[in-house]
Amino acid sequence: MRARRPDALVPETPRIMVLRCPGLCDLAAPGPQAAELFEQVIAAVTGFCPQVEAVEPGVCAFGARGPARYFGGETALAGRVIAAVAELGLEARAGVADGLFAALLAARGAGRDPVLVIPPGRTAGFLARQPVSVLEDQDLAGLLTRLGLRTLGDLAALPAGDVAGRFGPAGETAHRLAGGRGSPPLVAAPPAEDLSVAREFDPPEPLAEPVVFAAKALAEQMHDGLAARGLTCVSVQIQATWADGRESRRLWRHDGLLSAAALAGRVRWQLDGWRVPADGTDTSDGGIAVLRLVPDQVILATGHQLALWGEAMVSDRVARAAMRVQAMLGHEAVLRPVPGGGRDFAERVTLVPFGEKTEPRLAAGPPWPGRVMGPAPGVVYPFAREADVTDEAGAAVTVTGRSVVSAAPAWLAIDGEPPRRVTGWAGPWPLSERWWHTVAARRRARFQLLTDDGRAWLAAVQDGRWLIEAGYW
Amino acid sequence: MLPVLPALRGLLPRGGLARGSVVTVAEFGVLALALLAAASAAGAWCGIAGIPEAGVLAAVGLGLDAERTLLVPDPGDAWPQVVASLIDGCELVLLRPPGRAPAQVRQRLEATLRRSRGVLLVAGDWPGAQVRLRVVTQGWTGLGDGHGRLRACAAEVVADGRGEAATTRTRWLWRPGEDGSVTVADPAGIPVADRPLADIPAAETVRRLRVVNAG
Repeated sequence: MRARRPDALVPETPRIMVLRCPGLCDLAAPGPQAAELFEQVIAAVTGFCPQVEAVEPGVCAFGARGPARYFGGETALAGRVIAAVAELGLEARAGVADGLFAALLAARGAGRDPVLVIPPGRTAGFLARQPVSVLEDQDLAGLLTRLGLRTLGDLAALPAGDVAGRFGPAGETAHRLAGGRGSPPLVAAPPAEDLSVAREFDPPEPLAEPVVFAAKALAEQMHDGLAARGLTCVSVQIQATWADGRESRRLWRHDGLLSAAALAGRVRWQLDGWRVPADGTDTSDGGIAVLRLVPDQVILATGHQLALWGEAMVSDRVARAAMRVQAMLGHEAVLRPVPGGGRDFAERVTLVPFGEKTEPRLAAGPPWPGRVMGPAPGVVYPFAREADVTDEAGAAVTVTGRSVVSAAPAWLAIDGEPPRRVTGWAGPWPLSERWWHTVAARRRARFQLLTDDGRAWLAAVQDGRWLIEAGYW
Repeated sequence: MLPVLPALRGLLPRGGLARGSVVTVAEFGVLALALLAAASAAGAWCGIAGIPEAGVLAAVGLGLDAERTLLVPDPGDAWPQVVASLIDGCELVLLRPPGRAPAQVRQRLEATLRRSRGVLLVAGDWPGAQVRLRVVTQGWTGLGDGHGRLRACAAEVVADGRGEAATTRTRWLWRPGEDGSVTVADPAGIPVADRPLADIPAAETVRRLRVVNAG
């Protein structure tokens, strides 16, 4: 645990550079490949500044003042970092501002020019123009909008006391962020008491899954230890000692916001980055001997922290229940649905393992032409069911490339179930997706079918085969 | 008492889902999802276990808050323990048991349920359930012979059960209506001929539903 220097008590907003790799952070469930790439990104950035902090998957931050002086200014530094990351084949955007919050927004806002530098002292003005929707506490943002407070500037203009009185600690933090005053004031840590937690694996654990489960318990233990002293931490260091004695460590942003499950998710990602196999493939370094979580920059907990990173508030009771089930069935067995964009009913819901960041795979924003209109089906098969659709004469109903149906569907037989009489139908509605992509390209013709048992079905013909995608009941 | 959508109140004794009770729906579908909607919208966490094909978009359209929903699509052989854990964390759990639940397993889960003051919705059979719901008739509007599209489904839902729920209640519902919601339907205004859902072999020639193209 590293105590803050005494002079850090004087509020001085540091210059922070945030590097954001859209290709790594705009994924619903960043996989092992993304984790490995991110490790390489951090290694590249470490060449410019040794103290790099992972903020969330695909996003890292570091203090820009020193390295900028060395590399000839913030813009020059950002250009070099982006060039170094480009050598890994990744696009990156950089934002520099006073404080992490503004730097994150700057990196997010960097457009055609991949670097957005908010000059020292101008951060408050930059923040003032941002809509309140940039606050990840969407409930609060919605409330502020309804009250006519549309920008962070509107919010910052209110007296701090009024905001705290009306919106509680969440509003207080938002007000502070909106005014460019950064996170809650850092308070010197108590005497160097070791609040880190560790778990030894004997024999060393070669697989990621058991380590991640241990990490959840460790994270809870660490949070309990901090909470018992009224503390929380700004970041947390994940340390792994390997069977061959090597040590790997990485600093992750915490801000008192990560639940135990979310922290375990970070550990999972980190292990992916360090190439700990998820399944039984052999490993040359003999596995993990010790996993340690070290709270870094310990501060007084101010009660309610603002959910900056879009982690929905999950109560302890729910988190405990979900983690107990994950312990029984595996991490991927407990899922949270995230509605998003897409054309299929199945693809429009992204399933994210509990404890990981909930973001849809496809954005809900753009229009998705080719969607089936009308009410959503209550039954959506995760894997479409094979079916035979035949006409009155018993011949398979086919669809030509020009969407001409060979005959009216008369019978529907799903997956070996007894045939159902078709009493109504409509289609084909052609849908051709990702035609530019040879592997992912799909051409489908969709139908709605009604059968004599009162049920309605969403069917598709793809490569000459009939598939049942959903049922309306 | 956990709240339900206004259209479903008439089917349940005292107009809601009694805490600590088991409510069954004969088959998983929109009706089961609709029973979750109001409680979820009011802030309850919902767990859905053993139903990989649960249509989340339909549920969200009814009012389910996806942010407060946990899915355990495949609870496996240990499903009673999984459901017990979910009941500890969620006020409302929708379960389709993978197999027939032995009486002992049911009693243990019911005890957990009474302790945690949650509600267990079962898609399927659960002897001893306080309320049982089933769809006996349904018909769609909007789809013709090669034209139109599905618009709305009128369903006749029957509820019975034990104790307060012993009286059989019957309601016609739009399930869903054209906008995806579940509302009370006026039987007189339903443009489909009624016809029992079950008990008729699929091969038997039956009178076709008279479907009116609502477009």
